[in-house]
Amino acid sequence: MSEFKLTTVEEFEAATNRLLETGAKVGADAWQIRVKNQTPHCKFGEQGICCRICSMGPCRITPKSPRGICGCDAHGIVGRNYLKFTAGGSATHSDHGREICHTLYCASPDGDYKVKDPEKLIRIAKEWGVETEGKDIYDLAHEMAYKGMEEYGKVFGFQNFLKRAPQHTQDIWMKQEIAPRAIDREVSCSLHMAHMGCSSKPEALIRQALRSGLSDGWGGSMAGTEFSDVLFGTPKPIDTEANLGVMVEENVNIVVHGHDPSLSEMICEYADSKEMIDYAKSVGAKGITVSGVCCTSNEVAMRRGIPMAGNFLQQENVILTGACEAIVVDVQCIFPALGPLSKCFHTKFITTSPIAQMPMSDFIRFSPENAGENAKAIVKLAIDNFKNRKPELVHIPQIKQKATVGYSVEAIVKTLDGVTNSQVDETGTTKPLIECITSGVIRGAVAMVGCNNPKIRPDVAHIELMKKLIANDIVVVASGCSAQAAAKAGLMDKAAKEICGDGLKRVCELADIPPVLHMGSCVDISRMMILVAELAKDSGLNISQLPVVGCAPEWMSEKAVSIGNYVVATGIDTFLGVDPYVSGSSEIAGLLTDGIRDWVEAAFTVETDIEKLVDKMIERIEEKRTAIGI
Amino acid sequence: MTLFETVFSGNDAVYGLTEQAIDNAISQYGADKAVSFPNTAYSLPCYYSVTGVKVGTLAELKEALGVVKTLMTREMKTHDVFMSGVATALCAEFIEVLKYIDGAQPYEEPCYGHLADAIIRELGVPLVTGDIPGVAVILGKAASPEEAAALVKSYQAQGILVTLVGDIIDQLAEAGMKTGANLRVIPLGKDVTSVIHVVSVALRAALIFGNVAPGDAGALMEYTMKRVPAFVNAFAPLNDVIVACGAGAIALGFPVITNQADVARVPKSLICQTDVSKWNATSLEARDIKIKITNVDIPVAFASAFEGEIIRRKDMQVEFDGSRVDCAELVQSCDASEIEDHKITVIGPEADEMELGSKNSIAYVVKVAGKKMQPDFEPVIERKFHNYINCIEGVYHTGQRDMQRIRISIDAFNAGFRIKHIGEVLYSQVKNEFDAVVDKCEVVIYTDPAECTRIRHEVAVPIFNKRDERLETLTDESVDVYYSCIMCQAFSPSHVCVVTPERLGLCGAVSWLDAKATNELDPAGPCQVITKERVIDENVGSYEDVDEAVAKFSRGALEHVTLYSIMQDPMTSCGCFECICGIEPFSNGVVIANREYSGMTPLGMTFPEMASMTGGGVQTPGFMGHGKHFIASKKFMKAEGGIERIVWMPKDLKEFIKDKLNASAKELYGIENFTDMIGDETVAEDPETLVAFLTEKGHPALGLDPMM
Repeated sequence: MSEFKLTTVEEFEAATNRLLETGAKVGADAWQIRVKNQTPHCKFGEQGICCRICSMGPCRITPKSPRGICGCDAHGIVGRNYLKFTAGGSATHSDHGREICHTLYCASPDGDYKVKDPEKLIRIAKEWGVETEGKDIYDLAHEMAYKGMEEYGKVFGFQNFLKRAPQHTQDIWMKQEIAPRAIDREVSCSLHMAHMGCSSKPEALIRQALRSGLSDGWGGSMAGTEFSDVLFGTPKPIDTEANLGVMVEENVNIVVHGHDPSLSEMICEYADSKEMIDYAKSVGAKGITVSGVCCTSNEVAMRRGIPMAGNFLQQENVILTGACEAIVVDVQCIFPALGPLSKCFHTKFITTSPIAQMPMSDFIRFSPENAGENAKAIVKLAIDNFKNRKPELVHIPQIKQKATVGYSVEAIVKTLDGVTNSQVDETGTTKPLIECITSGVIRGAVAMVGCNNPKIRPDVAHIELMKKLIANDIVVVASGCSAQAAAKAGLMDKAAKEICGDGLKRVCELADIPPVLHMGSCVDISRMMILVAELAKDSGLNISQLPVVGCAPEWMSEKAVSIGNYVVATGIDTFLGVDPYVSGSSEIAGLLTDGIRDWVEAAFTVETDIEKLVDKMIERIEEKRTAIGI
Repeated sequence: MTLFETVFSGNDAVYGLTEQAIDNAISQYGADKAVSFPNTAYSLPCYYSVTGVKVGTLAELKEALGVVKTLMTREMKTHDVFMSGVATALCAEFIEVLKYIDGAQPYEEPCYGHLADAIIRELGVPLVTGDIPGVAVILGKAASPEEAAALVKSYQAQGILVTLVGDIIDQLAEAGMKTGANLRVIPLGKDVTSVIHVVSVALRAALIFGNVAPGDAGALMEYTMKRVPAFVNAFAPLNDVIVACGAGAIALGFPVITNQADVARVPKSLICQTDVSKWNATSLEARDIKIKITNVDIPVAFASAFEGEIIRRKDMQVEFDGSRVDCAELVQSCDASEIEDHKITVIGPEADEMELGSKNSIAYVVKVAGKKMQPDFEPVIERKFHNYINCIEGVYHTGQRDMQRIRISIDAFNAGFRIKHIGEVLYSQVKNEFDAVVDKCEVVIYTDPAECTRIRHEVAVPIFNKRDERLETLTDESVDVYYSCIMCQAFSPSHVCVVTPERLGLCGAVSWLDAKATNELDPAGPCQVITKERVIDENVGSYEDVDEAVAKFSRGALEHVTLYSIMQDPMTSCGCFECICGIEPFSNGVVIANREYSGMTPLGMTFPEMASMTGGGVQTPGFMGHGKHFIASKKFMKAEGGIERIVWMPKDLKEFIKDKLNASAKELYGIENFTDMIGDETVAEDPETLVAFLTEKGHPALGLDPMM
């Protein structure tokens, strides 16, 4: 028991520094260098008071010039920037969801893509009022995929998935006019509102930001998650490992990076085939290791146990090991820096999506129709590249931790079933978790999400927050790069119960879970929405009354802002460690951190002091407990 | 009030009472007054387990209360609640120990109060074998005596050990239900504080079997949670104090099941089941207790809980007594073609043709056949008959071979139990337990006196004689392999027994033949073959093979073990040993005490105190746990000179082992009536008197080299 030890951020950094030495030898650039070059950042940009949406400017707000040329004040400018930022994130997640729908549309019994979870497909179909009786599962899949894609452009009505929320939440959305309509429409509408000469009223801009966010979380992202499960299987607990030490020096190393699992699923499939393994052996390797970076990694880890090489700010490190034959990327969060960096090594940088095309990469255009063929070609390319390794540059830091991942809502409910008593309890609910919370054994739950951001010492906020939360009997659900930070540290090892408070420790022991539950990629934050919705329904409380908060301490992308909007609009207080470029407007900042509470019963808290951030979360959780008398 | 606040409030209340009780005691007796529980080496067991500090006087008790207070922190966290639960339990222990001042006997029939160390050591084997699948702690008052009796009986029928606290004790008496340790229903006391006596059993189990260091509260709680299958049933209404006690139970890993409707629920820990008739099923599921279902088609219950049941003459329908008339019990391996599976024949009168209260003959022959069956397994199977027949409700069995005695109670007879049902029980149990070697089984029961005489003298006795001859030739030297036994590891994680023909397992329950059969029945099971090819030192009995095996099976906790020395790497024990021997320096000898002996030994230690020197898989040179039959073995501490080192044993033990021990002494040293030279409690309980006695008798140990 005492053998369990977390890996520290200092150990992460020592490993990185060693890799940067290799980088220096070959003249490689690195984000650490570029951050220095970019510092200090533009103050106007940071505060959100730079406006360049028309060509009369750019305008920027100062005490001497409080309005832009069109007369827009700081509040309008900050609000419009914030809305556009949100729309960018919402569009990105949602388009990912659309791609998944399209892949489902191409699924066939003898094709590359199959329906792996037909029960889930039928469940969703019933939810959407689609007749399932007597229908061939693939006919149903195509029908549902089509309907899923229609959600992006439906002429009338609201998102289908909204019905999953408790009635109280749905009522709020309708009353506040933030219930999302067609997904594409909310993005368009946002861009429209933020156009020169449209909205400059803070309330209107923020309301639309919430609606656009909701079209992501309860629309595009949810479609992405749900139909990925239908295609690739609903995740269930599986053991894997995390950090660079998962790469194997003797093997051909293929790293998958990005967000859309369609590509990586195929790569994993072929890398695991006897044909390819034999081929790898023929070129002198012992085998093939596929590992992942970012959310593509989360996707394949949850469904296949594929190890996680690292999170967002570790993407350059995998190439710096000198042992990466190919880094294969799909969409989002991919550094354009990977192109030039790969040229310093033998690594093949393979882009695959028309959405994410980059200079200095090999572009192998990937589509559901040619998936198998191309995946095989990519694996083969990597194997062929093994001989080009420069042995003197090879160094894989030998650090990794064990992790149990794959806690979809279905898996969580199943795990909770395991602690019910068949003489007393019903199964298939979240009630056991509610009992743990109401009795006080667990004080509450925090959804830890988001990226890395050089503004915060990488992973420190994620790991330190989680450590303190679990020590205070607060269970953590994590996704995205936050989940990977936890896994790298060892917080997703079941043995991490040893560093929990007695209450959470006991729950981990009885339910046989780690204290930080891996719920998936950033698209899978939709899973967290479903979980809180179920908790609210099973407990009879409103979502905003549950002692549950969200937190993105190291966030950086537009997607994260979109997520923040839908999480708050769902009724969950959300804590940010990085300011979303709104400090330039007291009205916008005031709305986001306070005013919207009147609309959606929750708001943001921005706190860049990480120690204070965690204390504020614990305080909020305890306040919520007191308010409902538990 | 939230659950946590209730626990804190109950804890505060008990703390207040305890403080007052201690202060009153101090003003009555003075601070130097001794306090202790009887028959334990760990007084005060709970406080000692949790803190590692022993308490001997009222002044120390007062000081300990100060330590308890430090556990009573009041943050709204589970840790604080667990610690407050533990603090409540410790306060209860303090209140209870005050009742024992001046050797008082505060509990009277049927209540037990404090339970002796020896009882815990006896529980070790049945707990690890699953014979006792769980421990129920029932508190409070049922809705009716019938409800109380039904609940307790439901556990009893599963072999679960039941302890009772509060009004339910009177309710059971009212319902006419018998209680007592032999029936696995132990009333502790009427006050809620008496619940500490079962907590004390769980915590001492951790020290005795688990080698948990006193004071290592974390390891203690992990041990009880993982290895003590206890749970609590608490009747509504629950007051704050009971809830606080419940927090202590949950801290130790014991779920609480109650019918208090408004209690806060915690999965697998605090469960509300308003239907008391479902408490049994709810509790077993909550504690993950699996009951081995043995459905035997007989008109009375069949469960290990009835194993200790005694049938008195006045309650008896008929009896069979091998010491007065011809009886026998025998397992005979036959050819498969000679056997009709599940055929049960009674030759002679049935029970209803026998007079009430009469003494009769009985002989039952269990014929078995199987491809893997070996004659060596016959006695192994046969020795289980005692256990099988005893598990029948209303039937009692003692003895073995041709000296068994069986009584069938009037109640069992009236329920329809007949002699043929003994055959049914033997058939189903043999098939159930020995399915790996027994393919077919047939039972013939003779009650015709002439047939019994024939079977006894012409069939059974010659077989017994042949077996005895075989046993005589079974020596450590004559066999090629020994066996490991790790049956106790569920309880004592780092202990490994090495079982040899001349050294049976220290619990007394596993002989070399048993181990061999166990290995055959379950090749991946607790008994594994140990080769003995690489001798290091034959005299002390050390082998490289044996060392490797113990290192492997103890997962590195042990590196070297000798078979014949108590000074050099002695064999470890789990804690459930029948006897403990320890060196007596004045006479160059050793003193042996058995579990049943409650008096003092010349070492100045009682059995529990000697026993506490070892156990839990640790090696303590100079002390060794062992089985009773090992005493007469020619290998008993052979390295130090053998049995001639034995200078003292309790009288009863001496009587028990006398014949064999004398025979061994004669063979080894040519000494006649060696046991007469050995002291006992009627001769001496101190070393000076003992040495005088030994000198007078010319005991050989006095002339030997000192052992240390």
